[in-house]
Amino acid sequence: MASVATDYTNKVLVTDEIAEFSPTVVAEMQLHLTKYPTERSRSALIPLLFVVQRERGYLDNPGMNFLAKFLNLEVTDVWETATFYSMFNLHKVGKHHIQICKTLSCKIMGEPQITNYICNKLNVKPGGTTEDGKFTVTLVECLGSCGTAPMLQVGFDYYEDLTIEKVDKMLDSLK
Amino acid sequence: MSTELIKVTINGTEHEVDKGSRLIDVCKEKGSNIPSFCYYGDLEVQASCRMCLVRIEKMPKLQTSCTIICTDGMNVTTKSEEIEKAQRSMSEFLLANHPLDCPVCDRGGECELQEMVMDWGSVEERFLEPKNAQPEKFLSPMVANDPQRCIVCKRCTRVCNEWMGEDEIEAGNRGANTVIGTYGGWLNCSQCGNCIEVCPTGTLLDGTYRHSTRPWELEQTVSTCTYCSDGCQISIGSRSGEVMRVVARDRHVNGLNGEFLCGKGRFAHSFINHKDRIKTPLIRYKKGGKAIPATWDAAISFIAEKFREAKSIGVVASSRLTNESVYALKKFSKEVAKNDNYAVSDSYDLSPFFDNLSAPLCTHKDLRYAKTILLIGGEPEEMQPLTAKQIRQGVKNGGAKLITVNESPIRLSKIASQFLHINPNSLDAFVFALADEKNDELSVKKLGVDVKEIKSIRETIKSTDGDFIIAFGGELGLEAQAVCANLASNFATETLKVKYHPLPLYSNSVGANDMMNGKKLVDEVLKASDAVYIGGSLLDVNSLSGKDFVVVQELFETETTDLADVILPAASFAEADGTYTNNDGFVQRIRQTIDLVNQSKPDWIATSLIAKEMDADFGWQMSVTTVFKELADNTEAYKSLRYPMLKDESKPVQVKHTLHPTKDLANELKFLAEKVDAMPENTEKIIDVPKVGHILHKVGTLNGKTEQFQLLANGNPKPENVFISPLYQIAGLNK
Amino acid sequence: MEIKAIGCEPLQLKRMHVKDGHTLKVYQETGGYKPLKKALTMSQDDIINEVKTSALRGRGGAGFPTGMKWSFVPRSSPKQKYVVCNADESEPGTFKDRYLLERDPHALIEGMLIAAYALGSQACYVYYRGEYNYLIDVMDKAIAEAKAAGLIGKNILGSEFSCEFYTHTGAGAYICGEETSLLSSLEGFRGHPRMKPPFPAIEGLYASPTVVNNVETLTAVPQIIEMGGEAWRNLGTEKSGGTKVWSVSGHVKKPGVYELPMGYADMEKFILEDCGGMLRSDKKLKAVIPGGSSVYIMNADQIIGKKVTLDYEGLVTGGSSVGSGGFIVMDETVDIMESSKNLTEFYKHESCGWCTPCREGTDWMAKIFTRISEGNGRPEDAQLLLDICDNIEGKSFCPLGDAAAWPVQSAIKRFPEDFKKWLINNTNGNSIGV
Ligand SMILES: Cc1cc2nc3c(=O)[nH]c(=O)nc-3n(C[C@H](O)[C@H](O)[C@H](O)COP(=O)(O)O)c2cc1C
Ligand code: SF4
Ligand code: FES
Repeated sequence: MASVATDYTNKVLVTDEIAEFSPTVVAEMQLHLTKYPTERSRSALIPLLFVVQRERGYLDNPGMNFLAKFLNLEVTDVWETATFYSMFNLHKVGKHHIQICKTLSCKIMGEPQITNYICNKLNVKPGGTTEDGKFTVTLVECLGSCGTAPMLQVGFDYYEDLTIEKVDKMLDSLK
Repeated sequence: MSTELIKVTINGTEHEVDKGSRLIDVCKEKGSNIPSFCYYGDLEVQASCRMCLVRIEKMPKLQTSCTIICTDGMNVTTKSEEIEKAQRSMSEFLLANHPLDCPVCDRGGECELQEMVMDWGSVEERFLEPKNAQPEKFLSPMVANDPQRCIVCKRCTRVCNEWMGEDEIEAGNRGANTVIGTYGGWLNCSQCGNCIEVCPTGTLLDGTYRHSTRPWELEQTVSTCTYCSDGCQISIGSRSGEVMRVVARDRHVNGLNGEFLCGKGRFAHSFINHKDRIKTPLIRYKKGGKAIPATWDAAISFIAEKFREAKSIGVVASSRLTNESVYALKKFSKEVAKNDNYAVSDSYDLSPFFDNLSAPLCTHKDLRYAKTILLIGGEPEEMQPLTAKQIRQGVKNGGAKLITVNESPIRLSKIASQFLHINPNSLDAFVFALADEKNDELSVKKLGVDVKEIKSIRETIKSTDGDFIIAFGGELGLEAQAVCANLASNFATETLKVKYHPLPLYSNSVGANDMMNGKKLVDEVLKASDAVYIGGSLLDVNSLSGKDFVVVQELFETETTDLADVILPAASFAEADGTYTNNDGFVQRIRQTIDLVNQSKPDWIATSLIAKEMDADFGWQMSVTTVFKELADNTEAYKSLRYPMLKDESKPVQVKHTLHPTKDLANELKFLAEKVDAMPENTEKIIDVPKVGHILHKVGTLNGKTEQFQLLANGNPKPENVFISPLYQIAGLNK
Repeated sequence: MEIKAIGCEPLQLKRMHVKDGHTLKVYQETGGYKPLKKALTMSQDDIINEVKTSALRGRGGAGFPTGMKWSFVPRSSPKQKYVVCNADESEPGTFKDRYLLERDPHALIEGMLIAAYALGSQACYVYYRGEYNYLIDVMDKAIAEAKAAGLIGKNILGSEFSCEFYTHTGAGAYICGEETSLLSSLEGFRGHPRMKPPFPAIEGLYASPTVVNNVETLTAVPQIIEMGGEAWRNLGTEKSGGTKVWSVSGHVKKPGVYELPMGYADMEKFILEDCGGMLRSDKKLKAVIPGGSSVYIMNADQIIGKKVTLDYEGLVTGGSSVGSGGFIVMDETVDIMESSKNLTEFYKHESCGWCTPCREGTDWMAKIFTRISEGNGRPEDAQLLLDICDNIEGKSFCPLGDAAAWPVQSAIKRFPEDFKKWLINNTNGNSIGV
């Protein structure tokens, strides 16, 4: 398995379009800025990327442009930071992003069965998104919940001590 | 810089070195070559390639010599089994995912990775796994990219940030997936190509020259760039009479510009062998008629005949001509036309500057190590890119304080410690304030700034401990230039040294001004003559129509040649020998790289042929060195300079212009005061940051011959398919 | 999952089972913020000395003496000083900080405020791993409470001391647990480590003096101030003072978070009795990684009957190290080639890509493991893997390279049979899993 490194925004047709956010969201962003010295506003980049990702589903071009302008950066500065961190999506993901921990403790406590079950049930491969765009399933590294392995995260929510029954219940609850 | 010496032992031999030296530099200097990729002098240390490991006594683990500052008594080993294993293993790691396609790689033959691996590489091939594959693509019309070959030394991202201040090329992704690139995969930068130059592998490549030849088939000639007054040293690669590429001089020859060039210097050389070059002398027998090819002999005798008939011949030299050619034109005016009717065609008359210069010119190196830089007007990012780079590094890597005074928020003002954002067209008022504190009150009203801002600028200047550099260009009025050039005594102290950096536009603006001392303005010359002899083209051709007889020496047909009666094909800078004087006052050589294209001749030869035909033998015997000897001996600052003294481009020779430390400028000041007084107040400020390339990418006679510049001038659109040359896709369609 | 103290009174875990222990009210009712009050009456030097006396060592993994680290900060520097808490907890097998942050956030606030006071700092940042988003909400609420009560902000508790307190989020990068990468990330850049020297104590966040400490390190500070450094140290051993919180996961009946006095004897008892023994009684203990994934893996022979004590020195003698204190317990169903493959993939995924040996070495090793697991192992692969580890170890820019090398080195050496099976017989072994 050769991993293919790609500049995965290659295909983005860059536009100058700048996203707009509601005053509440902008206020939330401004609140983040207050945490850092004024000349260090770049510090707010990661928290703000999360806000943009939450608001727009993923880090789309207008959203990235917005941040570049908001923080007085080049859009490539936003890009270099965003692509470093595994929680940022530069492409669309499903409404519910199921992230199954595959690191050692979870692996030996039954992650493979859980992954198989979820993928079969949703008819996707790890890394894929269901046809209806509702679920994306990815395998991720240790989520700091090894004592309650196997486990997964949907968005920011933890689901721990997983069993097949719990997975079923969880999937039913995600509309 | 301290000159204190300390002792360092390398492989058992003791050496004395400057305190504060970096170990990797010391080792190289003392002959223990240490392999390295990411280390690059004068860029921030990154210590990521891990090639430069050495053993230092009393330190745990091997140490990267690029991060070590020598201390007294340090005992270093650079060669041992352990170190060799480390070096071989790093090479092995670097090659793991690197494709073995040197035979088809443009960098093959001059690739640092290739060279390094030959010396330090691993003995057996142990990597049997599939390589991470990525396709080749374009990052811009100029920059081709083969990401697979990248070793993530990040020289490119550092030059983009530290030299260019653009942050356009960056690293994306993480770990083994790290790629060098940009958001959206398309570079909308100034296209300097420095990332290509510093790349040690074939990852970033010259998209204009790609796959056209192999480096070892090129003949390399050192020369001087012809585009702007910075005068970067270049190496022209040619093959059978054709210029194939231009690169900076080798990085180890630090010289003026190291590996730096701007996009024009690097890529815009297609004009040299362009099909539109004027091929033979042309004679227009009837005004408005067709210019008809002629032999040189016929053209020269035709010119001589017409010049003899003329009442008064005016001579104009473009500031793109060499010192030799400008001097020849002046000599022609003095000895053949005998009327002192000569001028330099330049957008910026340098006489007020040099006639009132009160402190020496600074060099680009001075800029890099200056303590305070005052940039009055100008936009060096677009017009003198090397100057901009030096200022940027002075600020970013040297902690200099930069003060920009400008009507636009030019990009350099982003890193300025103070940016004085003034009203449009009020620059002269700043000089007026600078000349005397009591002018502040009037000036600030016209400038639209707070008086505190001016005071704070004065404070910054006053607190300078070291070089204080004043840089300005032709945006200032003539009086303001004179006053500004004469300010040194206002600031100089024992610890503060004033230096000047003029910002003219052309490769030989300074030299042309030096050669043509006693010159008149172009309009004066034209008005006073019925025949005109022009080397190059005029900026404004209006006053040229109606002249009885016009001779123009040019590379291409221009508005000026349209009005000429005889057009002589001039040689480009790649076909001639000569010298340019740059804005440091460095006299630098251009060297003939290829045979004369078509029937062109260097300008000074054409001039001496005409003179000879008119019975004035300049006695130069076709020898450029003789011309130079004569011009040197006739120009104060150049006295006793000779060609052999200019041979080493890494040690440029600076001519010392006469200084006028105390000049009575009462008249100029009075005029300036009136001018400032007449300025409007409360004008609206320009708030848009000027776009990258808004001047640099403008299509002119020369750079326009390189098709990629047509794309840039059209907004550099991202093509449909980055895997195919954008020229085929976009330019091809337009044609 | 268990959360309890064994062999000592719960100190770190004091409020884990107290209802509403995360609220200011309950925190104060259970003795909270008294240490801060006390600290504000002490001199800065006294506090640092108390921490030195306590023999508290960093709980983030490197085990550096905390008092010493604090004493490096140039308190007289005119620059702002920063106290940064490393709540990036991403080391596989480690999850103790999560519970401290969830159930006792005020303890961290109090510890950081004491540190800030001692170091002359007016700003504290807590850097959370991005996945711990819900904990940021917990902390932000706690901060708001503390602010309202005059515990954060200007003139804390009526003293001269003023300090602000902020939370900050990462976004999924293990390397950001490394303190200098954490600072790069906190400044909004890619999480690459920075050169040392200058150490963060001199030039850290925003090029200002900065102390970075783990959550558990900082929550220990109020206890030290309260009971005195000496008393706290005496809970543990001479060189490893106090108590330590361990995370236990894998094949035990009672995985969980356990607080033990330093020097707890012994490891065998801890796993096989305190943690409830092996998950499946019929499966034998095969391997333990005691300090989060980045330390040497131990085989059963190094544990059973060896009386390994749980403290910095004891674990080194036993053949591994404390690291972040994350036990991963494996029974005989686990194939150590496969567990090594799993961890190598983790390091490959988390390598920041800055330096050559780690970026290329982990990529290469992961490819070799993949090939082996596909049944194409070769006898020379073991030697090759060891040599790659040797070429990474000690040559990478930051310790992540070492962390990737050690597990593989120790696995090959301590579980040769598991590798022989794959490399010599070319047979597929049992796959791991229950
Ligand atoms: C790759 C790597 C990952 C690390 N991850 C963490 C972490 O998640 N949490 C932590 O507290 N320390 C982590 N550390 C240790 C920190 O670099 C640093 O030593 C620690 O935060 C200092 O705090 P302490 O002295 O209180 O332990 C890590 C170190 C390395 C090299
Ligand atoms: S060892 Fe090197 S590549 Fe790995 S995480 Fe550290 S700096 Fe990054
Ligand atoms: S040159 Fe020292 S690490 Fe690259």
